[in-house]
Amino acid sequence: MWLSSKIKQVLMALKPGVVTLKYPYEPHPVPPDFRGQPYWDHHKCVGCGGCAAHCPARTIMVRDLCQEVRVMLYDGSRCTYCGRCSDVCPEDAITMTDKFELATGDKRDVTQSMELFMATCKRCGRCYEHETVNAIDRMSLKGFRYDNLEMRAVIPVSTEHLDTALLEKTEKYKRPEKLGE
Amino acid sequence: MPRIEEVTQQLSNKFKDGITGIDQPGATQFFADIKKEKVKDICNEIIKMGGRYLVSIGYDNIARDQTLGMIHTFAFDRDNIFCGIRTSVPEQNPVMDSITPDIPNAGWSEREYIDHLGMKFSGHPKPKRLILSDDWPEGLYPLRKSVPWNIQPPSAEGVAYQLDECPEGCTVVPVGPYHPTLHEPAHFALYVDGETIKGCDYRGFMVHRGIEKLCQTQLTYNEIPFVAERICGICGSVHATSYAQSVETAGNIKISRRAEYIRTIMLEIERVHSHLLWLGVAGHLIGFNTVFMHSWRVREPVMWLGERMTGNRKTYGMIVVGGVRRDITPEIKQDILNVMKKIEEELIVIKNAIVGDTSIHKRTKNVGRITKEDAIKWSLVGPVARARGVDIDVRRDHPYAAYDDMQFSVPVVDTCDVWGTVLVRVLETFESIHIIRQALDKMPDDGPILTELAEPIAPFKHAIAGVEAPRGEVVHYIITGEENRPERWRVRAPTYPNLQGVPLMLLNNELADAPIIIGSIDPCFSCTERVQVVDIRSGGVKVLSKAELEAFAKKK
Repeated sequence: MWLSSKIKQVLMALKPGVVTLKYPYEPHPVPPDFRGQPYWDHHKCVGCGGCAAHCPARTIMVRDLCQEVRVMLYDGSRCTYCGRCSDVCPEDAITMTDKFELATGDKRDVTQSMELFMATCKRCGRCYEHETVNAIDRMSLKGFRYDNLEMRAVIPVSTEHLDTALLEKTEKYKRPEKLGE
Repeated sequence: MPRIEEVTQQLSNKFKDGITGIDQPGATQFFADIKKEKVKDICNEIIKMGGRYLVSIGYDNIARDQTLGMIHTFAFDRDNIFCGIRTSVPEQNPVMDSITPDIPNAGWSEREYIDHLGMKFSGHPKPKRLILSDDWPEGLYPLRKSVPWNIQPPSAEGVAYQLDECPEGCTVVPVGPYHPTLHEPAHFALYVDGETIKGCDYRGFMVHRGIEKLCQTQLTYNEIPFVAERICGICGSVHATSYAQSVETAGNIKISRRAEYIRTIMLEIERVHSHLLWLGVAGHLIGFNTVFMHSWRVREPVMWLGERMTGNRKTYGMIVVGGVRRDITPEIKQDILNVMKKIEEELIVIKNAIVGDTSIHKRTKNVGRITKEDAIKWSLVGPVARARGVDIDVRRDHPYAAYDDMQFSVPVVDTCDVWGTVLVRVLETFESIHIIRQALDKMPDDGPILTELAEPIAPFKHAIAGVEAPRGEVVHYIITGEENRPERWRVRAPTYPNLQGVPLMLLNNELADAPIIIGSIDPCFSCTERVQVVDIRSGGVKVLSKAELEAFAKKK
């Protein structure tokens, strides 16, 4: 019994031969639908912020400097590559690329930042009021978001009007300190 | 009369003044509101009626009626019923009777709420700190709504967990928190007399990070599946499915049949690779690395299959509330069938090679032996229970997804030892392959894979969802909330009950068998403690300079 098991084990080990891949000395291709590093196409992005509202890891941050300029920051250092952003993007501006070898010594290598010029409606001062069903409404995102891009922190506050007091508050935002310090 | 009404009738007849109301939202679950004085009697009665203890849920209800809520949940496996026994204690005097003396498995759940909510349980045999770190300040209860999610109390020196009293004549052998046989941090203090283990104390929860609190305060319904998936690095879809099912039950969302089939396939693929992983780890723990290498070699194609199906080898990210994210195309279907055929062939080879090996028998037979009665008393779940002759399986007893259409057998053996768990897991892998083939065959050809939520989910609905993970049964309990996020979300991973049975399994065994006994429950400490674990890709071998390494990584 013991011997026959050992013979079977030897055969089991001999048959497949060497299975170790030569990676990283030979490239390892990934399948077509692989969820790698997300990529933002700034030509297509309308700045709706839906990706920021749906990101489970809060990797995507939005900051409105004024009515016309919206800054979007993708901080890949804490991205989990779930691909939810590319799912919800109404304009297909986000694609999941095949890049996965993202180890780096410089955080900027995995960061993307976009400054988008937002148009203002000439009639009402806001862009999206006319349509009943549009991307912005579906994302239920109000006009201005106040994430702190320098601290890479999400401040889950958004308002309909540019609130200078809130803007200032987010600029002075500090991470929570330890109790008793 | 359906059995669920018989059960509720019987309970309300017996405890006329103890039960204040019964809420029965569906045909398979009911929730009874009871007075806190009667909690012990009613829980014992349910156990007598054939109920099996699942988990307890404590929640902060101070804002609404100045109370802390407590829910004990049970399952009636033969009748497909989940039940919750809801009670509450006033915030000022949060004392209630402990059910642990009669239902030992409730011990951890109750200790959890001593730590998290400041409740007190009279008659608890071991009311020690379980979850919070030793230097967490007294009187700060993190699960209360008044405590912010990102609080960081100062650390303290000179505080340590006091281990249980060592029996006379025994020596303490510490195993962990960093130990070659444990893949995650956990500390077992084994009390040994010579080579024989006479007792054990466990101090774990070293990586508890409060995912439940985070999700209850920061995330929204459809972001949580991705966090739930990262509770465990191996059985991720299980947690996401269980969470999604609990929300769907609470919110009365009906998902399409095709999505249910895809979920079934994902869960079974996960079971195949998890059992192969465990088989390898078990071989490694008893020093039999041939099994380790070859079951992991066989497992690798499943990981690649997952990558082709979902875009990632683990943490598939397939399951969201309302359905699944990616469809199974005819090409993928053929791909799955091919991979499964190959796995089945190779697994038969491995099974034949190890099933008669006397060296494995000697290390696993009669090791970690506990009786069927003890396994039931301690509410053990999954392959650990099925190796002790306890015939439970959520897939069959409480069918979810498309399991009601599947035909499969539940392997149960009565060797009551570690060898039994090996057998059960190998047999289950074949059953899983069988289920995947059936599901692909019967899957409806069309239908949406994702059902859009028509209206917001109503607040303060309760729901229980169970899913059979490779390690046992996962239970998610949800109380829906306002603001598009749960009011309370409780996760119970299978290791949570099984780990509580480990001291019993270790008793009177040899010290050298401790790793495989602990390993036999397929412990997943991160599940139990609800944090993230990371799947690691193997790195390079030669020492490269930083610049070389960077250049290499960017070349491609």
